[in-house]
Order: sequence, then structure tokens, then C-alpha cells
Amino acid sequence: MAERGRSDQKEDMEKAPSRIDAVPEEKLIRALMNAFPEAITGFTKLKEGFVRAKLDRREIAKACKYLRDELGFEHLSMISAVEYDDRFEIVYHITSYQNKLLLELITRTPKDDPSVDSVSSIWGGANWQERESYDLMGIMFNGHPNLERILLPKDYTFHPLRKDFKG
Amino acid sequence: MWINMGPQHPMTHGLWNLRVKVDGETIVDAQPEVGYLHRGIEKLCEGKTYPQIIPLADRLCYGSSLTWSHLYCMAVEDLMNVEVPERAEYIRVLTIEMQRIVSHLMWLAAYAGDLGLGVGFVYTMREREVFLDLFQALTGARITYNFPRIGGVAHDLPPNFERDTLRAISYFEGRLKEYEDLFEGSKIFMMRNVGVGILKKEDAINMGVTGPTLRASGVSYDLRKDRPYSVYEEMNFNVVTHKDCDCYARYRVRMDEMWESCQIMKQALKKMPKGKVRIVSPRNAPVGTGLARVEDPRGEGMMYIVGDGTDKPYRVKIRSPIFVTVSAAPKILIGYKVADVVAIMGGLDMCIGETDR
Repeated sequence: MAERGRSDQKEDMEKAPSRIDAVPEEKLIRALMNAFPEAITGFTKLKEGFVRAKLDRREIAKACKYLRDELGFEHLSMISAVEYDDRFEIVYHITSYQNKLLLELITRTPKDDPSVDSVSSIWGGANWQERESYDLMGIMFNGHPNLERILLPKDYTFHPLRKDFKG
Repeated sequence: MWINMGPQHPMTHGLWNLRVKVDGETIVDAQPEVGYLHRGIEKLCEGKTYPQIIPLADRLCYGSSLTWSHLYCMAVEDLMNVEVPERAEYIRVLTIEMQRIVSHLMWLAAYAGDLGLGVGFVYTMREREVFLDLFQALTGARITYNFPRIGGVAHDLPPNFERDTLRAISYFEGRLKEYEDLFEGSKIFMMRNVGVGILKKEDAINMGVTGPTLRASGVSYDLRKDRPYSVYEEMNFNVVTHKDCDCYARYRVRMDEMWESCQIMKQALKKMPKGKVRIVSPRNAPVGTGLARVEDPRGEGMMYIVGDGTDKPYRVKIRSPIFVTVSAAPKILIGYKVADVVAIMGGLDMCIGETDR
């Protein structure tokens, strides 16, 4: 057992990630603006190394793939869903380990159709977080491999974090 | 054949269920199931005022409650634009590092018990007691402290706290070396750890695994170093990584982290300035969002708070590190024997309180 693990590890560790070396905030904003000129709007640099952007919900899967493959955002930190009076907002916090950047991507969906494309094929860590957002807020993630309730029992019919749910 | 390990099983340490599909003794598929302890904390927060949530945030994790109330206070301070006095920041760093040691010790105790080293449980729990006594002197409580406040901490250090802490640290540093002899001198412990539960670097990154488990897979990422919050910028410490990616690496990372925590605590005590420990924070939060991230003992803890101008948050979203880490469990488990499940899942340091929220 001890042999198996150790032998195939060596190579992976040596291989240094070969993506853009340093993507400071301005460079990131420019790269995103060039790649998705219409879908991405409203850039704000909130703090050192922390950028916020708004994104059209139809482009979410494409933009996330671009972020991971080209800009080195390899870690999806958090997916949050927020309900407002007229819309749902799905907020993605995406981290780059190499460049120490945090990107806050906000995408909106209308009240009657709360659905976006799933990013779980891009980041495996998104799988459960999307299930959680579906479970508690009722957001549908198109193309998710297993969109089931995760925290609540399977036979519940409501989504408790919605504002019209009164416990 | 599917086997249910949990919700009542000596391996689980809390209420959760691991379903493993076995072919003979070998695991071919696994399915963690969580949710048994779901209390709806995110929804509960929407009905409480900002200060009322601090004790609730403590209940997120019984192993390291202080980091969660600290994280919550940081997120609200970000939302309200509150500056924390410097002395309070140093007290926070001191206490969350102490909390890290307590949490890692509780993990080590459970892990030793899991792997058939019962004596390890007794020793580590004894040392944990030393730090719990310090917490009791500081906050009056031993598990859920309710100590950070929005805009500082509840009160200043009690008399002789610095002396007692330094004494505890020097006592504990000696004990840490003893643990290494105790654990690594045990053949059974090593056999069940070394080479078991390989989580490759790419898998760890892709599955969103964070904290000691990520660093044990060879990724040097620690929020205290890479995106310093509080006064971690002033502290001199090393990010502990290991390149073996197995259960032994995870054990090693946590052991070395306890050592680094001791160094941070000593520096925090030395550099701590005099002054106020708390400022008056506003009652209502503005319309907007607040975000905070900390390096929890288990990984990356995040809170995202939406304020709507009232004295209650509109939405609180909590990122639990273990919730994401445990979703990577099938990746680690497949290919190993059923007997390795205890070592592998124990090595992830499960905390169901924060997982289910």
C-alpha cells in the first residue's frame, strides 16, 4: 500500500503550474473585458486583490471555464444565492492560488426562472455547493450531475431560505 | 454491496453517514451524506440583530467556536466599515491561535483513539485542558466563548494572563515533542497512516479542499500568509506544507501547525500594544455586502453578509470548509480497504456543526 501512493506522486509535485504568471487586478479586468465584452459589466476593485464583476447568466459556464483555464482561478471558494424583491443573485467567489486574487462574480436571474448553468464540471468543489443552493434557495443548476437535496430530507417541498418561507 | 458507516458509528465523530460500496474488502464507490445536524443557522440569523448572532456563530463548530464568531465579526465590520482597535486585533490573533491548538488537539485525540492508540487520547486531552483553563480565565467559558465583538473583543485580558499563557506555551512545546515520539514511535499508527488516503494535488485543488488537507497535498496556501487579515502581517511564521498527500502528511501538517501557532502566540503577546479593546459599533448596517475569510483550523471559512439598512442582516451565507472537503471523500477513499476508512476520514477532521449549519 505504501508503495502505490508514493511512486506516482513524484511527477505531479515537480510540475509547476504554467499559466499566466501574475494577473494583478487591472490585467484581470482587461482580460475579462476582452474575452466577454458584452456579458461582463460593472467592475469594481473593492480592496487590494479583490475584484467584483457582474456577469450575464447565460455566459456563466463559459466565463468560469475561461477563468480557470486562462487566468488561473483554480479554486471556487463559495457559491451564495441571495433573494431580492425582484430577482435572485447568485454570487461566486473565485480564488486564484498563484496570484492571490479573489473575484466576486455576481449573476442575476429573474424571480420566475431561477436557473443558471452548473459549474460543477469546471470545479468539482462546486457540486455540493450548488446542491446546497438548490436545497435551501431553490436555484436550478442546469447540467448538474446530481441536483438533489443535501441538507434537508428529500421529501420536503419548500426552500427555507426564501423570504416567503416562514418557519 | 453498499455499507452504511453511520449515522451512529465510532468512526463518524458526529452525526453523518458514509455509504461505501465494496467489492470484497476494496472500496469501489463512496457517498457521504450530511444534514443530520442541520439547524438552519443561516435562516435563524435573519431574525436576529447583529450582536445577537455572535453567540449563534459560536455554535457553528464545537471544536473551534472562536474562529467562527471572529469570522462573523470580521464580516460585519467589513459591512459596517468599522475599524478595530489594534490591541483588540492582537487579542484576537492570540485567542484564535490558541483555539487552533485546542481544535487540533481535539482532532489528535480523536484520531489517536480511532487508530487504536488509546493512550494518545488521554495525553492530548490533558494538554487541551491547559488551554481550556486559559480560555476559562479569559472568557468564563470552555467551549463556546462569545468573546469577539463587532468592533473589538468583549474585554481586556485578565490579570496574569500573559504569564500564564507563556507558561502554558513552554509546557506545551515540550509536550509536542513527546507526542511525536509517542505517535511516530507506534508501529500501528504509522502503518495505518503512511501511504494511506492519497489525495493528489490537482484533485485537492479542483474539489475545493482547503486547510491542512490542502497543504498536506503540497499546495502552499494559507490565508494568514497569502491574504493576511487582522494583524497576521506583523507575525513571523511558516506555512506548513507536506508533499506526501497521505494521512501521515495531514497528521504532520497539523502537528507542525500547532508549533507555529505557539510561535504566533508568543509574538502576539510580545508586540501587543496598550489601548482600547473595543469601540462602539453602529446599530444598523448600511445597504451593501460584507465579506470575510479566515483560515479556520479546518480550512477556508467565509461569510458573506447582505445588509439592508436595518439592525438585522438580510442574508448570511456561511462557507464551511468541511462541507466542501467531505465532498471530495470519494476521491480519496476509492481503491483503499474498508479498514482504511477510519484513518482517511479521521484525517480530514470532520466537524458536523459547521458542515450542516
